[in-house]
Amino acid sequence: MAPRPDVAFLRQVVLFKDVDEPTLLALWPRLRERRLKKGDVLFRAGERGEELFLIRSGSIVVSTLVTGRVEQVLARLGPGEVFGEMSVLGDEQKRSATCQAESDAVLLGLGRNDLNQFIESSPRDAAKFFQHMSQVAFRRLRQSSDLVAEVTRWGLEATGLDVEHK
Amino acid sequence: MSETPDNATADRPKRARIELLVRSAEGEGFETREIPSALAYLHSRPQRIPDAQWEMARLPYAPRGVVTYALKNRRTEQIIQITDAEKFLWEQMNGHASLQEIATAYLLRYGSFDFEIIPTLIVKLRHADLLTMRPVSRLRAVLARNRRNPAARAAEATLHALEKLTVTSRRSHNVFERIYRYGGFLLFSPVAVVALAVVVALGSRSAVRLWGESGEITHALGEHALAAILLVKLCFWLTVVSHQIIHALACIHYHRRVREFGFTILHGFIPTFYADVTDIFMATRRARIVNALAGPLVHLFLGFLCFWIAGLLRPGLTLGFLVAYAILQVQSFFVSLYPFCFLEMDGYHILVELLGVPSLNHDAMHFVREGLWRRLAARQWLTRQEVICVAYFGLSLVSVVGFILLNVWVLVHAGRS
Repeated sequence: MAPRPDVAFLRQVVLFKDVDEPTLLALWPRLRERRLKKGDVLFRAGERGEELFLIRSGSIVVSTLVTGRVEQVLARLGPGEVFGEMSVLGDEQKRSATCQAESDAVLLGLGRNDLNQFIESSPRDAAKFFQHMSQVAFRRLRQSSDLVAEVTRWGLEATGLDVEHK
Repeated sequence: MSETPDNATADRPKRARIELLVRSAEGEGFETREIPSALAYLHSRPQRIPDAQWEMARLPYAPRGVVTYALKNRRTEQIIQITDAEKFLWEQMNGHASLQEIATAYLLRYGSFDFEIIPTLIVKLRHADLLTMRPVSRLRAVLARNRRNPAARAAEATLHALEKLTVTSRRSHNVFERIYRYGGFLLFSPVAVVALAVVVALGSRSAVRLWGESGEITHALGEHALAAILLVKLCFWLTVVSHQIIHALACIHYHRRVREFGFTILHGFIPTFYADVTDIFMATRRARIVNALAGPLVHLFLGFLCFWIAGLLRPGLTLGFLVAYAILQVQSFFVSLYPFCFLEMDGYHILVELLGVPSLNHDAMHFVREGLWRRLAARQWLTRQEVICVAYFGLSLVSVVGFILLNVWVLVHAGRS
């Protein structure tokens, strides 16, 4: 459990910004603090996931394997951002990407069971939570589409392919 | 209303970049690298289709003074017309040379560069299915494919570790400009030529005198053999820095840019300093020759300076060290200026400038491997360029074999004595 309830921090997290304070205070003891040193791998793609994480401080780099020791950087996340929700809320419980500390970082983890209890105990706040969660998901989908387009453009430029005139 | 140049630059889409995370061999640390598409493009290695699948013929009906060729894909029956310059580029596209190297070869051959010619030709070749593209390093690709093999894994880890030892500064140009401004320019003045001549004359006189005392010198060295060898090697290695600095200053002298200066492990096993002075290719032929000559002259100067100083000393370890160091420097002067060894060192660059055959090494290897025997079988005369290629290949082969035999002889002789 993280030391003292920090409601101000939870308000910075988009998922909890509209959740009532009593609910946040009740949720706080369920959050487990994780401290990572720079370079520590929190989890790897394919591992089973039971927690979503809120970044309290530091920076997390999200990547996916390309080949050998090379991975593509999908995103960099900073304080107030959330990650790891896909394996907790999605249909597969496997991690979809690798998350690693790019600098010393402090995270708050919320387990699947704790999240379920939060949903069951205050459905009204849960609705606000999921409303913001869907916005986060849509934003990430948009970012993924942009990344696919950028990588495709990179490939065309790197190989000099002239597809417009063939 | 016409678009201003500034607006045009602002509106142009930025080159795409991808960000990669590369893990260390141990799997603990990592680093992220942004790779611009332009860099990947420059490092790509276009490869023409196998020789049996294409043919080329010179077109007789081109306008006067313009040489053009018909290049045919035998499989698809597609034919494209290419110019003489494009034919030169086509010949470079062997899957080994990167686009950057091809562009350099083009520049050396034609003295100027048309930035559109390579992309345009690649598009043309691709439309006719005459080209494939290969990854940057075939060795790395092979090692990556065989990662299950412990030896391949170890080799890959070693290569990676060696790459890590590369230290590069891309902001060295300003430093060299300052060095040049505050005295470096003197190295390219008549004063330097006179100083070099004086030092060589004084050093030669000492060297002749020291020759008579070689017994005492080797005796003094023999008493501290290990220390002497290590000291000489270390000092020599450090003088490689001055060799590279002079190349960089020569680049500044001719108003060209020093792109990089750093330390690397050459060919995966030779620790060395280097200066990227490829911008000198944009300068005149004279500038390129001076640039290539400037580095070896450092060894000549240091070698004879040491001979001169050694001539003023009494027999002992210091004298022995200076003589050994001087011999190594003079040897380096000749080795770096010797062009026939398949390695593209300073002497090679001077030779290709004098002969006007920029890709001599590549051309010679290619011709001897593929064209020479056909020409001999057909009893055809060789062209001037082909004679140059055969001569270069033959002299290089003889030199390399001679060098190996000499070393074997030295080892055997040393073992007996």
